[in-house]
Amino acid sequence: MNALTFSTAIYSGRVQLVTIRQRSLTVARLRVLLVAASFALLATMAVLRIGYLGLTDAAHSATSFEEALLPPRGEITDRNGQPLARAFPAFALWYNPDALGGGTALVKSPKEVALELKAIFPDIDEFELTERLAKGKAGYLRRRVLPEDANRVQAIGELALELPQETDRYYPQGSMGAHVLGYVGADGHGRVGMEAVLDKQLRDPATRMHSVPLSIDVRVQGALEDELTRGMRATNAQGSAGIVLDVDTGEVLALASLPEFDPNRIDEAGARNMFNRVTNQVYELGSTFKPLTVASAIDAGTVTDLSRRYSALPFRQSGFTLKDSHDLGASLNVPEMLIHSSNVVTAHVVSDLGPARLKKTLADLHMNDRPEIELPAKGFPIWHSGEWPILRAMTVGYGHGIAVTPLHLANAYAAMVNGGIYRPATLRKLAPGDVPAGRRVFKASTSARMNQLLRMIAVYGTGRKANAPGFRVGGKTGSADKPSGGGYNHSSVVATFAAAFPMDRPRYVVIAMLDDPKGTVASSFQRTAAWNAAPVVGRLVPRIGPVLGVVPDSTRDVDLTDLAPLVPKGGGE
Amino acid sequence: MSSIVPIPIARQPWQMLLPLILLVCFGATVLYSAAGGHLQPYSLSHVMRFFIFLAMASVMALFNKEVVRFVAYPAYALILLLLLGVELLGFVGGGSQRWINLGFIVLQPSELMKPAIVLVLARFYSDLPSGMVPTWRSIVPAGVLIGLPVALVMLQPDLGTGLAIAFGGLVVMFLAGLPLRWFLSGAAAAAVAAPLAFFFLLHDYQRNRVFVFLDPESDPLGTGYHITQSKIAIGSGGLFGKGFGEGSQSHLNYLPEPHTDFVFATMAEEWGLLGGLFVLGVFFLVLRWGWRVALASEDRFSRLLGGGMVATVFFYAAINLSMVMGLAPVVGIPLPFMSHGGSSMMTNMICLGSLMMINRWNVRSGRRTLG
Repeated sequence: MNALTFSTAIYSGRVQLVTIRQRSLTVARLRVLLVAASFALLATMAVLRIGYLGLTDAAHSATSFEEALLPPRGEITDRNGQPLARAFPAFALWYNPDALGGGTALVKSPKEVALELKAIFPDIDEFELTERLAKGKAGYLRRRVLPEDANRVQAIGELALELPQETDRYYPQGSMGAHVLGYVGADGHGRVGMEAVLDKQLRDPATRMHSVPLSIDVRVQGALEDELTRGMRATNAQGSAGIVLDVDTGEVLALASLPEFDPNRIDEAGARNMFNRVTNQVYELGSTFKPLTVASAIDAGTVTDLSRRYSALPFRQSGFTLKDSHDLGASLNVPEMLIHSSNVVTAHVVSDLGPARLKKTLADLHMNDRPEIELPAKGFPIWHSGEWPILRAMTVGYGHGIAVTPLHLANAYAAMVNGGIYRPATLRKLAPGDVPAGRRVFKASTSARMNQLLRMIAVYGTGRKANAPGFRVGGKTGSADKPSGGGYNHSSVVATFAAAFPMDRPRYVVIAMLDDPKGTVASSFQRTAAWNAAPVVGRLVPRIGPVLGVVPDSTRDVDLTDLAPLVPKGGGE
Repeated sequence: MSSIVPIPIARQPWQMLLPLILLVCFGATVLYSAAGGHLQPYSLSHVMRFFIFLAMASVMALFNKEVVRFVAYPAYALILLLLLGVELLGFVGGGSQRWINLGFIVLQPSELMKPAIVLVLARFYSDLPSGMVPTWRSIVPAGVLIGLPVALVMLQPDLGTGLAIAFGGLVVMFLAGLPLRWFLSGAAAAAVAAPLAFFFLLHDYQRNRVFVFLDPESDPLGTGYHITQSKIAIGSGGLFGKGFGEGSQSHLNYLPEPHTDFVFATMAEEWGLLGGLFVLGVFFLVLRWGWRVALASEDRFSRLLGGGMVATVFFYAAINLSMVMGLAPVVGIPLPFMSHGGSSMMTNMICLGSLMMINRWNVRSGRRTLG
């Protein structure tokens, strides 16, 4: 329909008009529908959008005045309220060449400004800085500026020198407890340790006003790290790990993995050390398993008479010869076996006990699964499921053919000495009512007997260097050859001392582990745990005992009078 | 019912008025909260204005069709003169001026132009023989009628109102049945011209608003502030809102213009998704009523007038909501019946008054009744 047809339609005018009318009506109806449809479409979009914003848009969290008063991230403290990680508002120095609104970036010449900045920060290179200022490219001039320095920068009077406030995480204890704490990444989320575990709680406006107390005690943590570092350096060890665990609650009072990293300053070297040896690395922990084997056997009733003597001579089993590192005589009883750390006699004990019962005890001690603790990185033990052949059970009995984390060992020892109750380890400070009930693994009588035996090792056996006077330490050494390739590397060991104190009423388990210690003057050119790991515990316990309420007392000790006659005084290595 | 309730009251379109009154009261509670829990300065005047303009709309509804048809051109001319006067006053006074102070009311002629353009175009197309619709005679005068006020308003500069006037006029033209290809080619031409206009005609701040609309997160503290804060307000309301008087975004001045352009965000923060759906629901009821009135009308004039009025109100609501929800760039257009402001209330009530008037014409002629 166009102007031409309209103007020439003379004869059929009426018909044309009717068609035009008809057409325009249809057009009008169509138009009405179109407009209404587009309105409806827009309305639907609005409903969808408001639903989307109202229900799903979690990215936009509200900012309220109350929140502005809260720390940007919750603090972490030790069990006594000592700050371990705190929010730290800091200034940065940012160069904004557009601050003057175009034209030149600076009022003074770049050289003058660079010199004035050098007067404040003597470590900067004024030539390099002059060049950067002249180039006019925005960027950080310094990441951290102290408040008084910030004032002095402000006094230079250059708008282009901006001092944005940035929130930072500050760890006042430096690298102490780094593996427990972790750090906060550039994205504001926690990494590695409890910063990662508690990330949500520390960021949540509803909870971040309260600092989170950990089970850690900084004094114990500091002493542990100090002694481990000392032991590690004295023996040129690759690394070391240690843990102090409350046997009645499962709270970790100190947990250290060395070499450490500094959460205040994350660099490549630090990132390499973030691996946690205590919870993530599994080791064959060697002879430290012997007390667990004996406890299992006493519990099962296969060891009833501690004076019974077993042959200590090498013997063949399933094609392998089991023998001790040196001659221990023709026969030993169980206390002597523990004191002298005899693999052969342990194998005989296992043979009486049977693989199934040993396996069940270790499974009850949670050694068939990752350790129970909050930290995200937890190593899976090397654990053979299925039925254990007798040879495997024998080697497991003295800590080979099974690899667990030091934390597993600490938990197992805690259950062995605390009366027989297994509890998971925790890094959260537990209120008295929150202590988990745990589950019974050993009989209380077994536990009491093991306390005597562990004490005897420290008094008469390989643990003598850990026997801090008055602290009634008991424990077992373990020096396991490190696996390499298909077999064992006989020149590289993992030396462990697993201890508890005070043995008359055990309260804390202490594990000290040195990875690949060398024979040095400090260790009398020995590589076994008796000479390197045991002394670490011997020095550590007097430092942490009084802090933890265990005072040295030479008048108290676990009663050894019934077992003392079974061992000749002054056992050997 | 008619026996008890007086006829002048009973014949009012209550199925539209009741939800509308609810919406205005809801708007007043939101404004009460936005004023920090006080009736002054927003809430009380909001309700009072509504009832004054409702009375005005009821009076408007009594006008005869012939009278309305007669005043269409003079009214348009008068308002165009007022627009010109504002422009001159602004030129003389220096700076931008959009209103004339008549003593008892501060008048924004550009607001009045929104219903006026619909009225004048409805009159124009109802006079135009249907055979002439697809010719140049249908578009050139209409183009001039729309173009003059839009140009004057844009000069003020007031992009939002200019667009609203153009939109109302275009909807009337569209409903009048102008060939679809004209609209399509017009849209194509706009698509070509838009980038040119964007770079040469728009002000820096307007350009910025578009950039920010495309990527609000690019500058959340600067120009993207409005949109970001508005979305935070709506998002933080969740399903049921933070509760009456608990909106931190509006009370702590995070939200810009919490009582006018961003009143919907203020509301959504405190009343949540439910409040938002209520507002949308009322708009749906009111506009559906208006649209049915337009459809039920007997002649071309009433139909175009009704359709144009519905479109004008719809445009207000749609643009404001899109802006607040981050679907459109920030344009200063208030939300009808919710935002505090006399001019927009007056415009919207004129639109509703016209629809009530058309409804009465429909009732009188014995056609389908609504109300």
